[in-house]
Amino acid sequence: MKCCNPYADPKLDVLLEAGRVIERVPEVVRTRSLSRARVTLAAMAAISHEPIPAVRRRGLTVALAASLALVVGAAAATAALRGQAPPPSQPVPPAIPHPERPMHNATLDVLPSLPTVAPQSTFTEKPQRWARPITAQESYAAELDLLTRAQVAYAAREFSEVLARVAEHGRKFPNGRLTEEREALRIRALEGAGRAEEARRAAAAFESRFPRSIMLPRLSEEPR
Amino acid sequence: MGYLRLVHSTPPAPTPESVCLAAFDGELGYIFATLKRLGAAPYEAEDLAQEVFVVLYRNWRTLDTDRPLRPYLFGVAFRILCAHRRRRAREILCADVESDNGALSPEGSLQNKQSAALLMAALEHLPMSRRAVVIMHDLDEVPIADVARSLSITRFGAYARLRKGRRELASAVRRLSRGEART
Repeated sequence: MKCCNPYADPKLDVLLEAGRVIERVPEVVRTRSLSRARVTLAAMAAISHEPIPAVRRRGLTVALAASLALVVGAAAATAALRGQAPPPSQPVPPAIPHPERPMHNATLDVLPSLPTVAPQSTFTEKPQRWARPITAQESYAAELDLLTRAQVAYAAREFSEVLARVAEHGRKFPNGRLTEEREALRIRALEGAGRAEEARRAAAAFESRFPRSIMLPRLSEEPR
Repeated sequence: MGYLRLVHSTPPAPTPESVCLAAFDGELGYIFATLKRLGAAPYEAEDLAQEVFVVLYRNWRTLDTDRPLRPYLFGVAFRILCAHRRRRAREILCADVESDNGALSPEGSLQNKQSAALLMAALEHLPMSRRAVVIMHDLDEVPIADVARSLSITRFGAYARLRKGRRELASAVRRLSRGEART
C-alpha cells in the first residue's frame, strides 16, 4: 500500500523494513499461550452450559418484588385516604438483600464473566437447589475463577491481592487441578512484591514438586 | 474368509473453538509483535495476548473471517493495552532505549536487530494514539481506511495522526541515532 517514501529518509526506510519482520514466538511461549487459551475455552464452555443466568434472574426477582410492593403500597394508601380498611392481600416477600457482584472496570468487561461460586443465600424457599454436590466441572470453574482474578490482579501489579487470591485457592483447593499454575503465579507475585528470598524458596519448592513443568524455563529466567 | 482392512476414521469436523484457536496460533507472532510495538513490556506480553484471545473468541462467531484478521487483532490489542495502561495509571511515553531491551541481546548483533531495536525505541517516543496509526499503516501496511475503521476514528483523523506521527518518529530516530553515535 506504499506508493512512495513517506519519510524521504533512506535510513528510516531501512528501519521500517527491519521493523516489519515478525519474529517467531519461542516454542515454549507458544505452547504456554495455547494451553492457556485452551483452558480459557474450557472455562467459557463451562459457563455456556450453565442453565440459568443467575445474575439476570436475581435482578428480575428484585424488580418483581419491588413492583409488587409498589402496587400493594399504592392500594393501601388509597384505601387509607378513603378511610377504608385495605383489602386483604397476599403477603409481599421482602426485597432480598443479595450480595452485589464485584465491581468491574472497563477492562474487565472484555474478559469473560467467569463463573462465580454460588453465594450463601438467605432465601430459604428452595434449599434443595443448593443441596446437590458440586460437580468436577464446577469445581474446576471455581478454581479457574479464583486464579483468573489473581491473574487480573497480577496484570494490574497488585501483588498483595494476587497473594491473597492464591492463598485462598490454596486453602480451598490444596490439590486442585490448577495447583501448578497457582504456585507459578505465587512465585511471580512474590518477585513482583520484592520478596526475593521467599520467591527463591517458592521457586525451589516448585522445581522439586513440578520438575517437568512447562513453566520452569520462564520462572528460572526471571530475575530474582 | 474376509480380510481386514484399515479404515481411517474421518477427521472430526472443525468446531468454531478449534478454528479460533488455530487462527490465534497462526497470528500469535503478530499479536506478540504488535503488543511489543505498542510498548508492552516483555513480561506483560503473554498475559495481554491471552486477553486478546478472549476477545477474539467472544467475537469469533460474528467476525467476518473473509477479511484480513490482522487489522482486527491490532484494534483489539490496542484497546487492551490502553485499558491496561489506564489500570496501571501510569504511562511512560519517553522511556529510555534500554528500558525495553528485549531485542538488544548481545547475540542479536545483526544489523536488522539493531534497526528493529532502534525503531522500537523511537516508537516509544510517540503518544499511543499516533503510534498505533504509524505502526498499522507503515509497518503492517494496512490501508488507511482500515486503520480508521479498526481504531474507530475518522479517515481524516487517521491521516492527521499519521502525518504528525511520522514527523515525530523521524525526529526521534534522528535524536536516538545522534545519541548512539555520540556514545
